[in-house]
Amino acid sequence: MSDVYALLRSALEGLATLGLLPQAMFFQFVSNAVIAALLIGPLLGILGTMVVVKRMAFFSQAIGNAALTGVSIGVLLGESNSSPYVSTFAFCVIFGLILRYTQQRTSLSNDVLIGVFLSISLAIGASLLLFVSARTNTHVLENVMFGSILTVSVTDLNILVVVTLVCLALIGFLYNQMLLASLSPSLAQARGLDVRLIEYVFVLVITLVTVACVKIVGAVLVEALLVIPAAASRNISSSLRGFVVYSVIIATVSCLLGIIVPMQSNLPVPSGGAIILTAAFVFMLTALVRNLVPRFRVAS
Amino acid sequence: MVGPSLHFSHVNLQLGAQDILSDVSLTLAGGQVHAIVGPNGGGKTSLVRALLGQMPFRGEISIDGVQKPRIGYAPQSLDLDRTLPFTVLDVLAVMQQRRPAFLGRSPVNRQAQDDMLERVGLAHQAKRLFGYLSGGERQRLLFAQALLPRPDLLIMDEPTSNMDLAGSQLVESMVAELAAQGVTILWVNHDWEQVSRVAQTASVINRRVQAHGPAKDIMRMLMQPEPA
Repeated sequence: MSDVYALLRSALEGLATLGLLPQAMFFQFVSNAVIAALLIGPLLGILGTMVVVKRMAFFSQAIGNAALTGVSIGVLLGESNSSPYVSTFAFCVIFGLILRYTQQRTSLSNDVLIGVFLSISLAIGASLLLFVSARTNTHVLENVMFGSILTVSVTDLNILVVVTLVCLALIGFLYNQMLLASLSPSLAQARGLDVRLIEYVFVLVITLVTVACVKIVGAVLVEALLVIPAAASRNISSSLRGFVVYSVIIATVSCLLGIIVPMQSNLPVPSGGAIILTAAFVFMLTALVRNLVPRFRVAS
Repeated sequence: MVGPSLHFSHVNLQLGAQDILSDVSLTLAGGQVHAIVGPNGGGKTSLVRALLGQMPFRGEISIDGVQKPRIGYAPQSLDLDRTLPFTVLDVLAVMQQRRPAFLGRSPVNRQAQDDMLERVGLAHQAKRLFGYLSGGERQRLLFAQALLPRPDLLIMDEPTSNMDLAGSQLVESMVAELAAQGVTILWVNHDWEQVSRVAQTASVINRRVQAHGPAKDIMRMLMQPEPA
């Protein structure tokens, strides 16, 4: 993989030499962040359309918060402070699967149940923070919460590449089925789909993506990058294809601008915050376009 | 080929402490139209959902006579946010193909989908958003998707409740065609006259099987005025 990264880095440096990209591309941590943005933008863009259709924004928020607890557990168990992936993945996957299992066996509405689980996860995380802060610099946790491009390492990129490939393969194979299972479980069942299994796979995909994106976007903000581009895209789309394509473009552009603009402007803003603010700005623009341009008003 | 037969044996279904279905036993022959009638809240939809494996129940439900039967299901409605940008063609693509619907329709399904939309009077609405269709047009689409591909067993849960007369007559004629081709049809229906015209057998369900037999006899019985 390192050859591929080197190739991408030299391409970015070449564009910087030509003046098409900022000179900061010559720093490895910046080019790493841009490569990561090019991976997570399309991934979150596609996945976000499903999150919006399935009304699971709150669920991804819960997973994001669980990531904070997962990081705390990892640090306490002696994992690397900068990349405690084993504990984070393990805790979030267990958390997501238990949440889904409980959803299927209770009459409580989704938002209430997710609220309960989110609170439990935050309570555990908050309790552990006391011990974690004694062991590590609290900036590590700040980075986990709000993202930081300074900390994106080759290991982070490798994990992101693997998660992206796995999730895109699953989405490519199960996109329609995942939508149908949530629109009408009975219809999905009639068409021979294993609705429960499909729902568990979706939970797994959301969890993997959330954890893999924590370094760039931040645990607290991943959910926003899943929802805002898809919501913005919905404002200006008149078909499913447009919905997905615009969502991918908006997510990717937001990631790139959120990384590059603060750096170029010397703004001390965390990458996660800048990415989300960019996406939010695009959302406002699309909302405006929808209200002002008759063609798009019809589409909404 | 004649469609599968259905067997419900001592089916009991509860929601919390409430009995929804109690000791329901029915045998429905293959290749016929069976109507399920009964009052609201009598358990008709629950019976359908149990058949589709969507509700836990005690007892036994079996589909016999055809190995791996293709099941078409026409629900009464679809819980799709009206503001989502799903066109009529997108909805069909989501339901029918493995290739992600946002990549476009699969070429193998196109002709059949176009023909079916023409048949149910939605060809001119193909690129319209699902949320913009009227209640009756949505039901036409839900009925159309249930026939793609042609099923061995067609299950319909009040598919004409929001349709105009023309839509209801269209469904009736298409159901009669399918029945003539040997498709087994289970139809939850409130229109007793329609049941008399189309169904061979009918069952009155109100938590229990209150009556079962030839559709014309059952409907005649239901339509008789209560003795003063």
